[in-house]
Amino acid sequence: MSHGIKINKEACKGCVNCIKTCPTEAMRVIDGKVRIMEERCIGCGECLRSCRHRALSLKENDWDFLSSKRSLAVVVDPALCFQFPWRPYPDVLSQVLRNMGFDPIFKDAALAFDLTALAEARLLDGNSDKRGPMISTYCPAVVRLIQMKFQELIKNLSPVENPLEICIDLWRAKHVKHNVPAALVAPCPARVAMVEDPVGRDASSADYVISVTRMAREILTNSRSVEHLEDSARGSNSRWVRWASLGGETAHIKEFAEKPVRSLTVSGMRNVIDLFQELELGRLKGIDFIEARACNFGCIGGIANVESRFIAHQKLKMLASSAPTDEEKLLLDELYETGIWKLQEEIMPVEQAPLGMDLAKAMEKLEELHSVYAELPHLDCGTCGRPTCRVMAEDIVKGSGSIEDCIFRVRERIAELSEEIHVLSKKLIHTMTPEGENEDKRDM
Amino acid sequence: MSAREPLIVQREVKPLDFLAAGETASEFKELLKSLGIPTDICRRASIVTYEAEMNTVIHGGGGVMSLRLEDDAIIIVAEDQGPGIADLEKAMQEGYSTAPDFVREMGFGAGMGLPNIKKYSDKLEIDTRVGEGTTLRAYIFIKGQREE
Ligand SMILES: Nc1ncnc2c1ncn2[C@@H]1O[C@H](COP(=O)(O)OP(=O)(O)OP(=O)(O)O)[C@@H](O)[C@H]1O
Ligand SMILES: [Mg+2]
Repeated sequence: MSHGIKINKEACKGCVNCIKTCPTEAMRVIDGKVRIMEERCIGCGECLRSCRHRALSLKENDWDFLSSKRSLAVVVDPALCFQFPWRPYPDVLSQVLRNMGFDPIFKDAALAFDLTALAEARLLDGNSDKRGPMISTYCPAVVRLIQMKFQELIKNLSPVENPLEICIDLWRAKHVKHNVPAALVAPCPARVAMVEDPVGRDASSADYVISVTRMAREILTNSRSVEHLEDSARGSNSRWVRWASLGGETAHIKEFAEKPVRSLTVSGMRNVIDLFQELELGRLKGIDFIEARACNFGCIGGIANVESRFIAHQKLKMLASSAPTDEEKLLLDELYETGIWKLQEEIMPVEQAPLGMDLAKAMEKLEELHSVYAELPHLDCGTCGRPTCRVMAEDIVKGSGSIEDCIFRVRERIAELSEEIHVLSKKLIHTMTPEGENEDKRDM
Repeated sequence: MSAREPLIVQREVKPLDFLAAGETASEFKELLKSLGIPTDICRRASIVTYEAEMNTVIHGGGGVMSLRLEDDAIIIVAEDQGPGIADLEKAMQEGYSTAPDFVREMGFGAGMGLPNIKKYSDKLEIDTRVGEGTTLRAYIFIKGQREE
């Protein structure tokens, strides 16, 4: 599985800040450099937040390479709309992108987000209490977390495609003849991973990725005056832009749902994990829909944003969005019937390799793990390059580490050795006379 | 008394320690997963552990939780030296609870714990004596074990 994170080995100091913040224990420091275990990473970006050496960044395509393309369609994560000193209306941004020579996919984005919300609303209308709540699949890090850690909740994931994929599909359907590549502007590693290695479909419709950071920087340096644009661009549907912030998806769904939706919105890795734990234990009842986002505040809290999430959240209030018109509803109904909103493939669990081939072997390994763990200092200092002593013990029994990786154990060994040396040095050689004793005694 | 089968792990639970609630459950779940036990069994074990743990925390005055493994079953054991259950038949009924108000305010005390333990396990033994304590043993059979 791809994780959307680029490691700058030169910048990495091998400090263990990042590996300790990883919610899935997917990071190690080996030979002084950080390493990400692909099969465990969910792309949440917590490690990027904790790196003070800028050794971690989004794995995006080269800007010069992309801007040299004759034509490039651009689809933006709604979070991009909130990065600028002007109002977050998508039409303004669309104009700016067009002026820069890109082909912005904005009308189809508006349509795709409407369609997703409509499809989710219809599923919720038909849902029974027994199945438990439906969980949004919009945040790719949340989807991966469920695949990896909460497999029992996979059946609760909404079987609706990500609107950022749908909008490219819609756009492509209208532009079959031109073979124009599409780039997605991403606010976090998980969105990058969504393009590189999507869940629920074979391949992403997007070809390239640009980080919100980079795109925002280019826009800010390229477009000085947008005032004239701002006034002329308030017309079209901006409902989709609200998805950038926590609660936006739920609000959108409620506009289409016939029945009341009992929803729960939650953001931030810790909250999301706690919520899923409670959900798996069956303690949460009477909820129809869960909007969970890995980042605080939702996608505007993504690590690659340039604007403060607090200000971005405030800007949301400047956005007057209208309910869908009858005409729009008619078009959406038609699109709904085509089924283009459906997830193409079933979402499968990502199983971690068990400790042993069969139960008996695994039990043996587990006992070994417990005894190795007992030898460790339980300080979780990270000096061995693992986030915790427990993970260290796991790595050792899996064959990828040795007890000497532990600085405390090595220290103890040195102490033992020096004690031994000391004892040895006191051992007498037969030809030597001990100090302060006379020969007579020794003869006895 | 319950040292018959190989032990996977043992945890002490303190009385009224609501903060730690669920920790044992998720630890047991992760352990079972690392042993290659199918996920639905892990989940059932996790629910059983959680409910048994909560009963030990709330009613039993704290105790010991352990996870054991037999040839074809995992066993979740909750032992306490608390007040015991006077009328076990009643306690097994849905909705029966003696939980005090402050516990109910925390969202517990629906009287669903023991019925859920029964529902999610394949065999249940409860040994309880008033004034002496309670030992609960819940068995979950491992059917579809992986080949190789
Ligand atoms: N370990 C125990 N020691 C003493 N009494 C217990 C113990 N476990 C259960 N009981 C008694 O059995 C009753 C029913 O238990 P059960 O777990 O079904 O419901 P509850 O704990 O009251 O509520 P809930 O589990 O829904 O939060 C309890 O109210 C309590 O009186
Ligand atoms: Mg209970």
